[in-house]
Order: sequence, then C-alpha cells, then structure tokens
Amino acid sequence: MKTAYNKSWVKNLQIQQTAQLWVTNNLLTSSQFERIKAAFPESFYRPGIFVKIGLFLFTVFGGSFFAGFLSLFFIDNAGSKTFAVLSFISAACYYFFLEFFIKDRKLFHSGIDNALLYMGNGAIIITFVVLFEGMEIWQYCSLVLLVNGITTIRYADLFTVFISMASIFVGFASILVKFPIGKAFMPFATMILSVLLYVVNKSERDYYYRECQILIKIFVMVTFYFGGNYYVVREGNALLSEITTPNAPQIPFAILFYVFTTVIPILYCFLGLKNRDRVFLIVGLFTAAFSCFTYRYYFDFLAIEIILSIGGFLLILISVLSINYLKIPRFGVTDEIMEGRKLANLEAILIANQFGQTPEENNFKFGGGNFGGGGAGNDY
Amino acid sequence: MTTKTILEDLLQKEILTEEQAGKIFNYETNKLFSIHWELRSVLYIGISLLTSGLGILIYKNIDTIGHQAIITLIASLVVLCFYYVLKHRQQFLWTEVNHATKYSEHALILGCTLFLVLEGYLQFQYNFFGTRYGIAIFIPTVIFFLLAYRFDHRGVLSMAITGLASWLGLTISPFAILEKNDFTSPGLIATGVLLGIILCVISWLSETRNLKKHFAFTYILFGGNLAAIAGLAGVFSDDSKLIYLTSTAIICLLLVYYARISQSLLFLLMGVIYGYILFSYTLFAYLPDSILGALSIYYFMLSSVGVIFFLLNVKKILKLKK
Repeated sequence: MKTAYNKSWVKNLQIQQTAQLWVTNNLLTSSQFERIKAAFPESFYRPGIFVKIGLFLFTVFGGSFFAGFLSLFFIDNAGSKTFAVLSFISAACYYFFLEFFIKDRKLFHSGIDNALLYMGNGAIIITFVVLFEGMEIWQYCSLVLLVNGITTIRYADLFTVFISMASIFVGFASILVKFPIGKAFMPFATMILSVLLYVVNKSERDYYYRECQILIKIFVMVTFYFGGNYYVVREGNALLSEITTPNAPQIPFAILFYVFTTVIPILYCFLGLKNRDRVFLIVGLFTAAFSCFTYRYYFDFLAIEIILSIGGFLLILISVLSINYLKIPRFGVTDEIMEGRKLANLEAILIANQFGQTPEENNFKFGGGNFGGGGAGNDY
Repeated sequence: MTTKTILEDLLQKEILTEEQAGKIFNYETNKLFSIHWELRSVLYIGISLLTSGLGILIYKNIDTIGHQAIITLIASLVVLCFYYVLKHRQQFLWTEVNHATKYSEHALILGCTLFLVLEGYLQFQYNFFGTRYGIAIFIPTVIFFLLAYRFDHRGVLSMAITGLASWLGLTISPFAILEKNDFTSPGLIATGVLLGIILCVISWLSETRNLKKHFAFTYILFGGNLAAIAGLAGVFSDDSKLIYLTSTAIICLLLVYYARISQSLLFLLMGVIYGYILFSYTLFAYLPDSILGALSIYYFMLSSVGVIFFLLNVKKILKLKK
C-alpha cells in the first residue's frame, strides 16, 4: 500500500537532521549544510510540540461536534443500525479530511492528522462493534488489529502501532485462557511471543517505519519482562483463577519468576551499555524500578519511609559514584553531555511539582509529597 | 538508513569530499555513548526518594531517642549541601551561569528540600513560629528567591514562587492548580489574578531588562497560568464579571503577544485555549436564547476549524521565525 506521507521527504528530513548534528560537531561547514538542504529538500509542516497539542485538541473537539452535527440528520429513526451508519459516515469523512489535509497542507504527524486518524479508526471500529454484537474477545482484538495495522502501514503512526501491539497480546491471552494448559503456561507463552515479535522486528524495514519499529521493540521488551515478573504472574494468576482472597496464592515455579524479575532488568541495562542501545538501557532502568516494587510488595520487612530513605541514599550514591567513575570515558561510555540541554525549563517545572510542596497552613506537614512519579526528567 | 548510506548519498551529490566522509564515518563509529541524562535522572529520583523518606521518618519517630539522631543527621546534611554549594559558587551574573561543578545544582535542591523538612519539624515540635504560620512559609520563600538568583537555579526559583503563592493561600504547582484550589471564594480569585499579573510583570522585566532572562519563562508559566485560571474562575462566578472578563482577555492577548516576542509556542497554546474558553463562555452567557439555539449547532464545529486555521497559519499571522 502506498504511504500517506512523501517517503523521500521523510528520508531527506533524516538526512538534514543528521547533517545538522554534524554541523554542530564541526564536521561539516554551514555552507555545506545549506547545499544539503537544497539537494535533499522537504517541505513538511512540522509545528512545535505545543502548537501540535493545540491542533490535536481542537481537531478532536471540532471532529466530535462534526459527528454530533451529522447525527442531526439521523435523529428521526434512531436505533443501533442507524448508529452504525452514522459512525461509518463519520469515519469516511474523517479519513477524507485526513487525506485531504496531508496533501493540501503537507502535514507530517502535526496534530491534525493524528487526531483525524484516531477518530477515523475509532469510528470504524465502533461501526463494526455495533453491527456484530456479542463476538469473542479475540475477534474484537483482531478487528482492532486489522484497522490499526492497515492504517499503521499507511500512516506509520505511533499510537496505532501501540494499539495494534496491545490488541495482539490481549487477543493472544484471551485465546490461551480458554485452555487449562494455556492458562498455566501463559507467562512463558507471553515471553515466547515477545521474543518472536522482537526477532521479526529486529531487521530494519523501510526508513519510513523507523520510529514504529523502536516502539514495537520497547513494547515487546516490556511484555517480555512482565511475562516473567513475579508480581504480574502471581496477581494475574489469582485474577484468572478468580480467587478473591486479599493475598494472591503462591504460584508454581516461584523461584524461576523471582530469578526472571531480578535478571531481566540487569540484562537489559547490561545489553544497553554494551551495545550502546539507549532503548535497552532506559527500559532496563524502568523495569528495575518495577522489580524493586515487586520485592517490596512481598517482603515488607522494613517500613516504607526507611526503604525510601535508604533507597534514595543508595540511588544518590550509585549515580554520584558512576558520574565520578565516568569522568574518563570507560568501555566507550561517558558522562559528557552529547546533546544540548533542551529541556531545562521542563526540568524546572518537574522540580517545582516534585519538591515544591511548601507547607500549608492547616495541617502543617512537610515532606511526603508524591514520590511515585519520579521516573521523568529524561530526554530520550 | 545508516550513517554509511547517508554519506554515500552526500558523496554522490558531491557535497562532501572523500576525506571528510571518512572523517565523519570515523567519528560516528567511535562516538562515545553518553549516559549523562540517565545518571542525572537517577540522581534526581534518589534525592526525591531520600527527602520524602526522611520527611516521613521524622514524623513517625517524634519523641523517641532515634528522633534526635535523625534531626542531627538532616541538619548536618543541610549544612553539608549548602557548604558544598558555597564552596563551588561562581561569580554572580545577571545572565545564565554555566555550572562548572557537577553536583552543585543537585546539592542545592537537596539542601533546600531538606531545609523545608527541618523547618517543618521545628514548627511541629517546638512551635518555633507560634501560630504565625505565614512567617514559617515566608522565610523559606525569601531564602529560596535569594538562593535561586545567587546560584542561578530555575528549580529553586520554582520552589520559591510556589512558596510565595502558598503564603497567599494558593496552590500553583503546575499539575495541582485546579484540583487543590478553592476558586469559589472571591478573595482567593482576586489574589490569584493579582499574583499572576505580578509574576507576568516580573517575567516581562526579566526579559526586557536582561535580569536573568532565562527566568522569564518560569515566571510567566506560573503567572500566566494562575492569572488565566483564576480569571476564568472569576468570570464563571457571579460578581464583578466584567472586570475579570477584561482582565482575563488582556492576559490571553498578552500571552499570545509574549509568544511572539519570546518565540515560545507554549504561551501561544495557553493564550489560545484560555481565550477560546473565555470567548465561548461569554458568547453563551450574553447572547439571547433565540440566536443561541441556531448557533450552538454550528458554533463549536466552525470555531474549532477557525482555531485550527489560526494555529496553522500562526507563523504568518504573528510573524514567528520558528
């Protein structure tokens, strides 16, 4: 199927961006950069992130009211069938505007096209859900996968990739649940499926889908970890067997899952550093945090505040030690800033939100705060 | 597409020389892998966990022997942090200072947060400030403002602004501005609008007078948000609607105007969204019902198309460079 966005422009954009990096590192002169821009042109409309957000919001807003406007014509003979027809017509209109705007305004993931695509997909899915009620979960999942998969091939949109991946895993799980043996081997099956998808995804396809492939990689890395995570397996097992006791019962092969919980994040971080793969490193750090949560959940021999203090102290210690250790680059890893500090303002906002809990008059209590949301501040 | 293919493309168009291409290829293959931001994030998370943990620890252990030890520990940590910051201080400048040492920024944040914990304890245990809670909030606010300017730290500046607001009874931390404020009391609305406008003016001064120009963003982000939201709350509640209406409209215009001079599209977005809410509300509040009935069907559809058109052509309309 033909891609919606001009493929050679996508490529030229990447060439320009790479060349820009070389210019800042004094590997190219700026006159050369001008010639590159002329030789590899692109004229996508790519607004800043905030205009993008505004465009997205107002497109969703306008689009919803457009559907409401359409529904006025159907108001006389309301029923589930007319609702399906209405959704279908809305979807057709959304797709039409999507294609029209991409052609006319040269959009490239600029907010408007994202919004129209999601609304179009949503409306199409609603149409089929209304028409075919009472299907199995896996059938709905394949419907969602079909719609989002096809649009992903055409538009290479990250959100549709995410939804497609999620529907693959949900559909897969809902089929396994039907068989007792499938239920028992669900964690391993999830892990195997993740590995399979990872291998399929590994070879680089067209450049057009580069970001989609990165997202798929992250997704299967996380599902692989969740498949082996003790907390997810134990609680998931209780959920599937419909055991409603407050404590989920112990699971078979517990040791194995404890090993997975410990080893996978370390493996991710190690591979990330060894292969200089930022995706692995960051997913490794996040999964490591989830592993800490898992252990804390089942072994709460220390009070939460002591864990927080010691954990915080250890994290500070580890990062300070590694920063000192990496003063001189070792094993090709360095602490030097490679890219500029683009997000200094965002960092300040996050700090204000995290640390800015100044006292309030009535209950004069400090500290505390929302220590849960600490994972941010990263400019990956 | 790899470095190699890009270089081949460039060679083909004769933009690069062979020698230069070789140099770039060498650079790309031998490039170091920087984990600077990952390590800094871990450091920040560590600081955040440690301060939360110590904060709770104090309250749970009040009146025990371990308590004194914890206080001493925190106090010495505060001293240590500030000592480190002082020792590695740089000359004061009205422009952005590049922090030469690796940890002074983080030490400053850690010190400031622990200082809050410590002060809270003093008040709780010894009633240090009596019932004059205002002073208890005001002191750290002043200190934080001084520290922020002296050591050039945007994060501490944000903490100071939040402190100033909470001294006036407002919560303005970015993600809690709506849920934690009771905007039904008229006094609070007026305070909010005024403080917001003052912050915007300070931002304006920093920008135009070159007084820590990079602080302007933080000021107007807090100030503009606060003024616009408080102003909207004023418009929605009954009394003195017109004053709030005009002031909010002016703030929205100012935000858009500021977006133009500072080239920052965040303020454009804020101005457009708050302005749109204000405009729609006014329209529905003041137009007669007979017109509204016909209008309401088309209004949202057409107006959002209008806003989209404005945003699409914003560069031309506002003559933005980016």
